Amino acid sequence: MADPNTKFLVVDDFSTMRRIVRNLLKELGYSNVEEAEDGAIALSMLQKGNFEFVVTDWNMPNMDGLTLLQRIRSDAALAKLPVLMVTAEAKKENIIAAAQAGANGYVVKPFTAATLDEKLSKIFEKLGK
Amino acid sequence: MENDPKRQQGESCCNEELIARVGQLTRTLHDSLRALGLDRVIADATRDIPDVRERLNFVMSKTDAAAQRVLNATDKAIPLQEQIHDRCMAMADQLAAGQDSAAMASDMHEMANKADVTKQQLMDIMMAQDFQDITGQVIRKVIDLAADLESQLVQLLIDYSPTSENLPVDDDRDNSLMNGPQIKANDDAVANQSQVDDLLSSLGF
Repeated sequence: MADPNTKFLVVDDFSTMRRIVRNLLKELGYSNVEEAEDGAIALSMLQKGNFEFVVTDWNMPNMDGLTLLQRIRSDAALAKLPVLMVTAEAKKENIIAAAQAGANGYVVKPFTAATLDEKLSKIFEKLGK
Repeated sequence: MENDPKRQQGESCCNEELIARVGQLTRTLHDSLRALGLDRVIADATRDIPDVRERLNFVMSKTDAAAQRVLNATDKAIPLQEQIHDRCMAMADQLAAGQDSAAMASDMHEMANKADVTKQQLMDIMMAQDFQDITGQVIRKVIDLAADLESQLVQLLIDYSPTSENLPVDDDRDNSLMNGPQIKANDDAVANQSQVDDLLSSLGF
């Protein structure tokens, strides 16, 4: 497990899903979690606060998750931020597009607690945390 | 009166005339729609309706599965909580009577285990709520389709007036990257997490 104080931003337009992800993160030992309801709000929060990990949905109003990912990667201050996509978008072209845009992981909904745990561990492992 | 041959003849002659006129109108409508390029719009609309039916069936099965999952979890957790409650009451009595602590310690371990199992059930209840996001996305699509259908019908009325130009047909709705949950097996989409992982590793990610 990485530092339990790792600061997470959970981005999803459905509040139930934000709560589920927040609870799962807490169960995995991460309690420092904030929420955003779309990509635009998330981006402005990321630019202000020193977040260390982003878990984002894809299909959201205002700014979708792929655009958020692209904006993160093109912002020098945020470019290295790990981004895990957690989305119901299951088309192969979605997964490829996310990978090409620089996503650190891709989880399809509905997912299990074990899947989230596994993907997070894998990302932290690769980052050497 | 009912057997008045004149009246019957009159009715059948009117019916024939009516049918002929409806037929003529239908033909005119059909030709006009073709001429306006609206046959495509109608084809889209008829394609959307079974799609809506499938989506709503998907919502029903998801909400049903979530409800069953929650009820299964409460079926398991409620008796555990009752046992914990009863045992606590009994232990309080034993404590008051000055019973030895080794037996009590084993009782407490057992209760801690039951509390753990209850927590797992609560986690499962929490995870079952993911239906709300999944079905919400699908319902949003159905609402969009209904709105689409409505605007197509309105457009049809507008375009059926003699002065109108052809309606542009939206042709790229299948190519979007925002399709929401897949409601049936589809070669273009993955069916589970392990297929996501396989695809990504096959691409070298």
